[in-house]
This record gives sequence, structure tokens and C-alpha cells, in this order.
Amino acid sequence: MWLGALPTAWAQESTVTGKVTDAASGTALSGVTVSVSGSDTRVATDNNGNYQITAASGASLSFHAVGYAEQQVIVRGTVIDVALAATNQALDEVLVVAYGTTTRGSFTGAATSVSAADIQDAASVSFETALTGKMPGVQITNSSGQAGAAPSIRIRGIGSMNASNEPLYVIDGVPATAGGSGQLGDYIYTSNNVLNTLNPADIESVTVLKDAAAASLYGSRAANGVVLITTKRGKIGKPTINLRSAVGFTPAWATDNYEAAGVQEQVDMLYQVFHDYRTSNGWTEADANADALNRLNGKFNQHGYYFETGGTGLYETVHIKGMTDGLVNREGSYYDWEDLLFRTGMYQTHDLSVSGGTENTKYYSSLSYTQDQNRVVINGFDRVSGRVNLSQKVWDKVELTTNVSVARNKQHGYNDTRNLGLNYYLQTRNLLWPLYWPDDYKTGEPFTGRYGSYAYNADYYENEWDNSANSLRLGINETLSVQLLPSLNLKTVFSYENNEVKEFLYYSANHFNGTTDNGLVHEMSTAYTKLVSSTTATFAKNFGLHGINLLAGFEAEKNETDFQRSSGSNLPASSLPSVSTAGKLDASGYSWGYNMLSVLSRAEYSYDQRYNLSASYRRDGSSRFGPNDRWGDFWSVGAAWNIRQEAFMENTSWLNSLRLRASYGVNGTQPISNYGWRSLVGYSSRYMESGGASLTTLGNEDLTWETSYATNIGLEFSLMNSRLYGTVEYFNRDSKNLLQSVPISLVTGFGSILRNVGEVNNRGFEVMLGYHILQSDDWQWSASINGSFTRSEVTRLYAAEGESEAQPIVWYDPTGGDSRAQFIYQEGESMLSFYGFEWAGVNREDGRNVWYVNNQDDDQAGDFLYNGRGATYDYSNANPTILGSAIPTVFGGLNTDISYKGLVLGLNFMYKIGGSLYDGAFKDVGDDGYYWERIRAQYYYDHRWTDTNPNGSLPKLLGTDPTDAMQHSSRQMYDASFLRLKNINLAYAIPAGLTQRIGLANARIYFNGTNLLTFSRYKIADPEVNQYGTRGWETPFAKTYTFGIEFNF
Amino acid sequence: MKTSTIITITAGVLVLSACSGFLDVKPTNSGDAKTAVRTAGDAQVVINGLMRSMTSVNYYGRNFILYGDARGGDLTIASQGRGQDALYTFNHTASSNSYSGFWSHLYDGILQINNLLENIASVESEDSNEDFGAIKGQALTARALIYFDLVRLYGKAYTDDPSAYGVPNITTTLPYNAQPLRASVAENYEQIVRDLEAAAPLLPTTHTNGYLNYYANKALQARVFLHMGDYPGALDAAEEVINEGGYQLYANTDWNSSWTRQFGSESIFELGVFPDEADLGSGSLGFYLRRRAHGASTAAGWFMASDYFLNRLSEDEGDVRWGVMAQDESEDPHLGSCYKYSGSVDLVGDGKRDNNTAVNIKVIRLSEMYLIAAEAALPTDPSKAAGYLNEIRKRAPNLPPATAASITLDMIVDERSKELFAEGHRFFDMMRLNRSIEFNDEFAGITPSSRPKIIDRSFYRTILPIPTGEIYANPAIGQQQNPEY
Repeated sequence: MWLGALPTAWAQESTVTGKVTDAASGTALSGVTVSVSGSDTRVATDNNGNYQITAASGASLSFHAVGYAEQQVIVRGTVIDVALAATNQALDEVLVVAYGTTTRGSFTGAATSVSAADIQDAASVSFETALTGKMPGVQITNSSGQAGAAPSIRIRGIGSMNASNEPLYVIDGVPATAGGSGQLGDYIYTSNNVLNTLNPADIESVTVLKDAAAASLYGSRAANGVVLITTKRGKIGKPTINLRSAVGFTPAWATDNYEAAGVQEQVDMLYQVFHDYRTSNGWTEADANADALNRLNGKFNQHGYYFETGGTGLYETVHIKGMTDGLVNREGSYYDWEDLLFRTGMYQTHDLSVSGGTENTKYYSSLSYTQDQNRVVINGFDRVSGRVNLSQKVWDKVELTTNVSVARNKQHGYNDTRNLGLNYYLQTRNLLWPLYWPDDYKTGEPFTGRYGSYAYNADYYENEWDNSANSLRLGINETLSVQLLPSLNLKTVFSYENNEVKEFLYYSANHFNGTTDNGLVHEMSTAYTKLVSSTTATFAKNFGLHGINLLAGFEAEKNETDFQRSSGSNLPASSLPSVSTAGKLDASGYSWGYNMLSVLSRAEYSYDQRYNLSASYRRDGSSRFGPNDRWGDFWSVGAAWNIRQEAFMENTSWLNSLRLRASYGVNGTQPISNYGWRSLVGYSSRYMESGGASLTTLGNEDLTWETSYATNIGLEFSLMNSRLYGTVEYFNRDSKNLLQSVPISLVTGFGSILRNVGEVNNRGFEVMLGYHILQSDDWQWSASINGSFTRSEVTRLYAAEGESEAQPIVWYDPTGGDSRAQFIYQEGESMLSFYGFEWAGVNREDGRNVWYVNNQDDDQAGDFLYNGRGATYDYSNANPTILGSAIPTVFGGLNTDISYKGLVLGLNFMYKIGGSLYDGAFKDVGDDGYYWERIRAQYYYDHRWTDTNPNGSLPKLLGTDPTDAMQHSSRQMYDASFLRLKNINLAYAIPAGLTQRIGLANARIYFNGTNLLTFSRYKIADPEVNQYGTRGWETPFAKTYTFGIEFNF
Repeated sequence: MKTSTIITITAGVLVLSACSGFLDVKPTNSGDAKTAVRTAGDAQVVINGLMRSMTSVNYYGRNFILYGDARGGDLTIASQGRGQDALYTFNHTASSNSYSGFWSHLYDGILQINNLLENIASVESEDSNEDFGAIKGQALTARALIYFDLVRLYGKAYTDDPSAYGVPNITTTLPYNAQPLRASVAENYEQIVRDLEAAAPLLPTTHTNGYLNYYANKALQARVFLHMGDYPGALDAAEEVINEGGYQLYANTDWNSSWTRQFGSESIFELGVFPDEADLGSGSLGFYLRRRAHGASTAAGWFMASDYFLNRLSEDEGDVRWGVMAQDESEDPHLGSCYKYSGSVDLVGDGKRDNNTAVNIKVIRLSEMYLIAAEAALPTDPSKAAGYLNEIRKRAPNLPPATAASITLDMIVDERSKELFAEGHRFFDMMRLNRSIEFNDEFAGITPSSRPKIIDRSFYRTILPIPTGEIYANPAIGQQQNPEY
């Protein structure tokens, strides 16, 4: 079969013919698209794999088939036969690795990569989100659905306690700053991640290095894995213009989130609280009824309602009546706060890129605009970013590559915290009664007072406060590569990164946070600079069947942060919220930083493409340690055996590839704290307008590196003409000398000290299996599943000097600063062991909470026996114990792509099975009596114990507050398993005939849906929780429906 | 090729050899702890930090003062759940509402003092010409004050059982892995007296506004001796301050306006609370005591005077001290809201422009010395006692003066309540005198499950538990937990 080629404008054209085969099996491949790069000429191979095309000598032919790696061949002569390698298992696939590239077939380490196509359509400002469920061993969690929130990445478990568990990010060969930036976090809880300055559309590939052989060349920062991001470069050919636009809508949350009970239920419950409170203090039912109605009236009369009951009992239905003395009678009508505070969010992104190149010059440039409006009315994010990646051959042997990127992020309306006044989501679920109105029913004026202790008229306060963060990030990365000898390459990289974050926080004199200061404004600037210089020499040469590749180099890195804050109070007018108008000024400014020096080397040896050996060594020095322990050594060894290439496998035609890999190595983690080894005196305690000093940090000069000892064994295979392929990896990582801020006796004057405290083991399996189910001319259907089975366990805790045995370490989830969940590090237990009181449930007789006492010496000790165990009604008589683990048995993804002609449907599921989640927010809305002013969730109303619902799983509503809702206990724990359709993508490539008629190389329209389906046993709120397995009052995740269009000229 | 290789390697060696400096990075807002104090000027900066830390919310800035009056029954609450009501209801355990802020913050102060004294000793051992005398005197006096407050929070009253557990008695900086145990109440008091007596001769007798001077030391001695039941000691110290200190009692016409001024003639030790530094704003003591929503919607009306206190003050409707009281949120006339820390009932503050929450905390006033002298003289010289008492009692001009025949301890104790209301004394007075405290629970209509309506010092919650955070890190002290926790 031969499809007619259209005439082209290229000179010296000739007819090129050839045959395309499968590289592994040698069988002919039909339906392979053959095109001349940079032109409109394209044909497809026939049933025998043959093709014929018109192309100029020197032009580049591109061979493209689903399931195979694309190949480009320069036209020289008239016959070009090509063998295509199946993707995923393609041994020749180029893989970006530490300080260079390699082919998958010779790599001894464990790495996973995804390409641009896998991440481009997801409606997300951060590229990490798009990786969810696609990489075995890589757990991507989000703690918030706030616009601009960035996820957290865990590679192969949790190898550190206090030091970061985030991987090292390397962009185009240079370690990049990542994580939170700015200082607004000192005032309100924010998420402002530097990596959000990266436009996902600029990314060519993301490779995650997981084991020691892959990552140890990054030494002291490699223990948590390394994420290598490579940005796009131009390809040889005429200019390609790519234009992409997408618009998304978020009309709903992904799941229910603590949906509030109806107004009748709320009023009845509050009545019951007041009633019970009185009767339990000995009042008669009639008096209690009168008092409860009186309190309800006292609270809601001013909003236009009064209350009546038919009888005087506890479970009376309270009739909600409208007051008739105002402008309006509100009887039967209630205010919908959700309608005011939430909206249909909108997401849009527009990308324009131009790329192309010649043998000597390659360029890629892009400009992009992305906007993400959250469902919460005040919250939004937008980004403008641009990039130029240019590589130029200066002389024959010298190539200069310049990557310049500029991005401006703007985030505003942070409100992601348990802070009762500022979090609109919490307000609607927990504080704003539908009986409250933004205006006064008597006067029609805005209601400016507070409704209760913490509920505020958001309609009014909306204009009385503001916050924002503007980040400007500049990155310049110069690479000079000199081919000194055919086998010797010298490369030097110099990179400068500057990220300046300007932040703004304002409360007017009318705002509850600004009244005492008569208006308050903070303007802050934090500038991060990072300089990296690295120089490496690579020697690569084949001697017959022997191949060697040697690398040596050094690297220096300097990080500095400058901070300035000016604050003003006593603001003259609310219309000019700026420091310059303030009556009173206050300022601060200082800088901090850390430096690193390293030498590094690697040696690789291969024999006959069958055997590969590798070894690496790096020595790092860091200013984060005292002079005693400043330098650390990190190394790895690895081997790979390409079994399929052995002579004895020659006849196993069903098996297309089989490779076994093993590695072992040592790498490290640096402490988060820049100065943990030093005792410092701070000067922030001014007194009577004079400087004041106090000892602020207790240093530990013996602080030493966290070290991980990692083993990896991997098996890669493909069979049935590469239709079935997969990888199985076993890994074991022992992390020693873990750093942790350890509570110490407060009598020392400090609460904690950073210390090397213990050891952790992470081990498990990762499995990835893929299958090309259908491969016909019109239909293509492939599916893959991956799963990670990881155990993370504290194996040892070191006893401190003078102690006979080590103390378990109690710690709290740092998310949101609300200590929502309590954990413990204890030998032999999970790294995420929830710690607290064990809730036995609700006593069926009287609806009270029952707690197991958990007396270590006597399981029966307690006030009474419950299910044969010692129990109590008073939690303070119980002992805290380990309640479960947040670490799932298995997590991963399920991905499938079906295509029919130009139509492609992709489904991307993420799943998690096993483990517990800790709900740190339900205690506020499922409270059994402590909070008198708040509203409660429908879930609590439906499941609480009452006289008529003795099987209720939640305690009876009482007015006497027997249980402090803030206790950490298993009452707030749930099964964390869930399955979520993270992304569904439907794309249609407009037929080439049609696009060419209007001058387009190709065009594509697509629909992407995010979080559209969720299956879970935990129904109260969203089961996709943060990396600690906990949920709090962070903005929930939304469903996003995105429509996009993409053109190539 | 060779040249570039050589350059590369040379550059590498140069970079690496320069490493010792390159890898030593310091922040620009902090100094190295070992070398921070070289001169008396440096030491003064540390004293400033120490005074500032006393204005913390966990100490004289708010909670310690509220502790004395809410627990002592002179304050009550209008509703549970507004915050800090556990102070009033005694709803605390070792793990929740534990008030561990007292424990950690006060020991942080002890650390700063011990570190300063060690630094000074180290500079002095090097033959320095610097005069650290006044600094050491302040440091030792502050240490005595902090230990005095700690032992009253965590230990039984000295007059109850001096051999009971007090608090760990630490006078040196500790290594991070130290696990100190509790000393006895008597040992704590011995240390307090030792520090005070060592400090006194080092201190200036001039009035050092905002800092501790010789008379603050003596006034503190008077307080400490009174708590120990050492009346002659208390009388001596109080009289020295009264007679030689150069302080003046406010005239009746000045008493109210004294709260609108800093460093008045009665202030023996007053902590400076300035805007943008120690000002606690909506968390300040003034804010916590004013009427609900007065001046700001965030004023929640946390605490107000109990009926017991108001009845006491009502002995004379013309008592000048009504001047700092104003109507609270209740509907009936009830002057429960206290404005000592707002300047005046009109929120004028104490002289810092546009600010009514940055109000100094008057920790020791001369009137207290008169009341101590009266109480200390009472057993031996009722006539002298009456003389001292009347100097304060005359602030209720319609009450008959006390005489040697009519004076009773009750009169002095009541006068302390009236004069020192909301200054953090009442509870500790009740403890040392072994009196019972009755709480005005009717005001909010509550029946707290965490304490009875009437308590005395036999009730275990009158001393705080060692917080669980301490016990996690220092298990042995768990064996010394206060009874019943």
C-alpha cells in the first residue's frame, strides 16, 4: 500500500524506499508513518513494511508508530531500512541520567521516565500532578486543592524523619531550588512552590532516579531519589510553530467534604446541646426548654428568627419563625453562604512555542500564560512564562547551549488553614449558620459585627483583607561542551537562578485582624539566588566488544537568601493598603544561606552489550555541618546482564527482551536546618526600643550526615512481539543516622534539638506490567498497571548519651500548623504510626464515648470492661498507644489508551489500598458538644447515637462537654483505600488532509477531565490525602473539565 | 587539550582548597552563642532580651497574671469556650490545657540567665576590665523572681509543705541530654533567697525604669519572705523599700490616672510593653479584661470581676478603685470589666500614641509593700500594721481606718484583693494562707466538672502538672508528677 505524497518544495529530491521492521523480532511493521521532517510529506508502510517517499538528500526522515520509539534518519542514498524499537522496553531509548545520558539497555540503575505526551493535557499548574499514578515507586500526594498548591513527591518510601523527604530536582543538569518559598508562611498558611514557575509544556521528559546506581552521583542529596527534568530543544528541520489553548471549568468539588446538615437539623442539635446542658445540671425539662429557646433567641433574634417548640423534651422539633419587626420577614428563607463563597472555578492555559534547527543551531522558544481560579472566590493563581533554549555549534568540536527562562507567578487569596476567621471553606462547613445573613434584617445595612465567636460576614470582610505573592524567577544555564578528542568530552555548566518573591498581606482597620493596629499591612521581599558551577570530563570509547565510559568532575554551589520586610500600621484609609501610607512603620531584613562543594566520578564498563558494570563516587562538603563532620563520601556499584542477548537464548523467539540489574550504594540527606550545628544568639527580642538578645538555637556540633544504604534488583522483560512488557524491582534501603528534632527536657530552656537519632528501613517491590491489547491499522489499545508495595519502618532508635534506652519520639503532622495528627517513631513500627487514645466506640446503652485504657501491664485495668478489655469514659484515664499506620499496602496507577484512527481515549486511575487516614477536620464538624456556636456535618447528624438510634456510630450530643474534641484518637481514623479516575483524556487528531488544506501540519482537539470519579469507603471528605495520610481544613480538590485545542504549523 | 585539562584541574584544586571559608556560612541576624557577650554593653542587650521575655503571653504579659486572679476567684467568665477559660474552670491535665507554656517559657528565661552568667564568668576569667556588677545583680534577681513564680505554680505552698516537690533547681546551662529532677520546695526557696541576697549589693539604688534595681530586689525579698511565713524578714525588706526607696504612694486623686502613665511613683518594677515589640494586641491582658467587643469586635469578653470581688469593693461605693472598673456584657449593672491594662475605661492607653494594648505591666508596686508590711507586722505590732494598712485603705475614703484593736488579717487580705486586683496575687495569697476559694459560677450559669465550687489548697489541681512534653523527654521526672495527675 502506497499513499500518494504531496509535492514538496525541496530541491534535489529523489525517491527513497525501504522496509521498516521490529527491532526485537525482525518482523515487518505495517502502518508506520514515514514523514519528511519540516515538510508535509508523509506516507505509511504497507503490509510488508515497505514504503516509498520523495525526499531531498540531507533531509531528515522520521519513522513513527504507536508503541515504538520514534526514529529519525538523515537521507543519504535511496534505500533506508529501519528497525524500530518498541517503547517502554526499548533498549536503545535514550535516558537522561545523572550528569549525562545513556541508553536504557546499558543502564544499571532503576529509573522511570515519562515524556511530554504523558503530561501535557492535564489541567494542572504543576507538572508533578500530571505524573500521578504513572511511575511505579513514586508517590505523589497533594495536601490542598488551593490554586497553585504543589504536590509532594515520595520516592520509595520515607527515608528521613526531620530532614526533607522530597527528592532532589535537577533541571537541565543543574540542581534546582524546590519547595516552599517566601516568608508569608510566618503569618498565614501558604503554599508557594518554586517549581510552579516551570511551565509543564516546556518539559520534554521527566526521569525519576530511584536506586543508588542511578542517583548516588548526586551524593548527599540523593537518598530520596532524584527527579531529572529536561526541557524541550529544537529539532533539525524547518520551524515548527505549536499553539495550544485550553480552558477548564471546575463546577464542583471532587467529593463530598463535610457537607453541613440542614438548617432544621442544626437548630435541633443546638437546642439539644442547651437542653441537655441544663437538665444534666439538675434543671427540669420545662426550665431547660425555656433556657434553650432563650439562648437560641438570644443568638438569632438579631438575624430575624425566633424559635418555638411543641413540647419541652430533648428531642423536640424546633420551629424556626421569622421576626416581623424588620424590613423583611425571613421565615422559611435562609442564606446560602456556599453560593457566596464558592464559584465555578476556571482554568486556562495558552502556549505558543517555536522550534527548529539546523545541524549547527537548534532553538526552542516558548511563551505561556496559565490561570487557575479556584472554586473559593478569593483564591487564584496565574503564571506568565517564557523560555529560550538555544544550542549553537561554535566550531566543529565546541557546542554552547544557553537555556534562559523567565516566569512570573502570581498567587492571591491564601486561606488554607484551620484559622477560623480566614478559611472560607471551614466557615461554610463549621461556622456560618444559614440563619446568618450578610445584612441586618432591620436596617438592610451590612452586618459588620461577628456572628458568634468566630463566624464572620465574609461578604463584608472580603474587601477588608488581602494577600498575595508574586514570584519572579529567572534562570540562566550556560553549558559549554568541548569534544577534545573523539572519545573525550569536556563539559562545563554554569547556572544562575534568581527567584524573588514579593508578598503582601493586608488587614484593614475594620478587619478583626487589623482593629487593634488600626489597619495592618506587611510587604515582604525574599530573594533566593543560587549559583552552580560544575565541570565534568567524559571519556567514552569502545575497544572491540569492550566499552568504557569514565566521568570525573567537580561542582560548587552557593545559595543565598535575602529577606526584607516592611510593615505599617495605623493606616489612614482603606483605599490605599500600602506601607507608604502607614502612620507607624516597622522593618526587618537579614540573609542566610548554605554552600556546597563536591567532587564526583563514575566509571562504566560494557561487554558485547550483554554485560554492564558501573561504579560512582562523590565527596560532598556542606556548610550545614560543623567542621567535625563537614565532608561525606557517597558511592555506588551496579551491574546489568542482558540475558536475551546470550547465545543460549537465541531460539526463544517468544521472548523479546530480558534484562537483570542489581545495584548497591550509599547516598545521603542533608538537614533542613542551615545552622543546626551552631548555637546562635538572636536579636529579635527588642525591649523598650533597645536591642535585645536571646539564645535561640541549641547547636549540636556532632551532627552528621544521614546515610542511606540502598540495594536494588530489577528484572525487565518483554514478550509476544513486545506486546506484553514489564518490570519488577525489589529494593531495600537502610537509612542511618537519621536527623530529627528531638524533644528534650524543657528545663534545659529548649524544647528540642536536632540530633542523629535512629535508623529506618524501606523495602518493597514495584511492579509495572503493560500490554498492547489491540494493534490493528485502525484500532490501538494498550493498558498498563503499576503497583508499589513499600514497607517503611523505624528499625532502631539511638539512646542518647547517659540514657539506658532510646525514647520513642512523638511528633505531629506539620501540615497547616494545627498538629492535627500525632505520630510516634518507635522501634519496629511504621514510619507513619498514628499515636493517641484508642477509641472503643460508642456505648450502646447511653451513647457515650468509650476509650480503651491500654494499660501495658494489665489489659483489664480500667473503670469497666468493654469487649473484654479495660475501658473508661474519661480519655485522660487512658494511655496513648499506636493506632495504625498511614502507609498503604500498595499504591499505584492504572493507565489505558484506546485509539481509533485519530481519536484517542486515555484513562489514568490512581489507587491506594490499605493504611489509615487521619481526619483532623471532622472533629470540628462531628463534635459531640464542646462547641456551642458551630454547625455540624450531616454525617454526624445521621450517625450520632440518640435514644432512637442506639446503633449510632458517633457519640450522643451532650451539653456538658465530656470529651475534648481536640484529643488525638482513633475516633478520627478511617480506611484510606481509594480508587480515583485522576484524568480522562479524549483527543481527536484532525485528519491530515483537512489540516493541510488550511496550512496546518496537524491539529488536535481534546477534552480532559480531572478527578471525575472517586471510589472509597471513607465518605466524609476526599480520600486523597497528604503525604502524612491526614486531612485537615485545606481547600478540597475539585472536578475540572478542560477543553483544549492544539495546532502545529 | 592539555591546556584546558590543566586549567580545569587547577580551577578544581583552587576551589576545593578555598573550602574552609566557603563552607562556613552564618546568617546576618544571629551571632555565635559562644562569643556573643564580650562587654557590659553586650550583656545589657541580653538583659533587654530577658526583660522582653518577661512580657510574653506565657508570663507577665498575660497568663501568669490571669492565673493569679482567675484561679483566685476574683475573676469569673461569662461563657465557656471563649479561650483560657480552663484557667477559671481548672480544666487542665498534663496533656491538654496543661499550661506547659509556663514551664517552657520560664525555664527558657532561666537558661538565658545562666548562659549570661557563665559568659560573664568566662570574660571575667580573662582579666576583663568590664564592670558586670549591675548586670549580674539583675540576672540573679530575675532568676529569683522566675524560680519564685515557678515553684508557686508547680509546687505546694512553702507554708503547706516545704519538703514537697518543687521544680528542678538549675543554675548552670545544661547539656541537651540533661534529664533534671525536681528539688524540694524548701531547696527552691533557699536558692531564691541566696540569689536575692547575692544580687542586692550589686544593684543600683537609682530608679531604672523598666529594669530591676536594688529596691525591686528588696521588694521581691519582702514578697518571698511573706510567702515563707518569715514575717520579720518580710517586714524588714518592705520597710526598707517604703522608707528609703524614694517611691511615693499615689494620692486618691491620682490613683486612677496612674494607670494612664508609665513608671509612676509607685512602680518599683514595671515591664515596658511597647508597640511593635512586646505589644500583644488582641492577645494582651488589657484586651482579655475589657468588655466584650469594646473597641474591637475581637474583644471576646474573656474575664470579668466575680461578684465576690465586686461585693468586696462595694464596701465603699466611693472607693477610688472603682475608677478602673466598667460595665461588662451583663444586662444588670455589673462593673466587672477591668481597665487597669487599657489605661482607662475609655481605652486611652498609658501614653503610647494610638495604642491601647501596649500598656506596661506593673509587676511590683509600692502599695503592695505597705500591705506586706501590714501583714508582716500584724502578729507582733498591730498598731504598726494598722498604720501601714490605712495608707492603702484610705483609697476607700468612707471606710473607717483600722486601729490596733480593729485590724484583722481578713482586712489586710481583702485590701490586697481590692488594691492588687488583676495583678496576679489573689490565688497565691489563698494558697499561702490556706484559705478556701469560692468561684462565681452562677455568673455564666455553669457547673464545671473539673473542680467544685469551693476549693482550697488540698485540691490537687491547685498545683499544675508537669507537662507530658517534659515527661516524654525526661521520663524520670514522670515519677515525680504531682499527685493525682
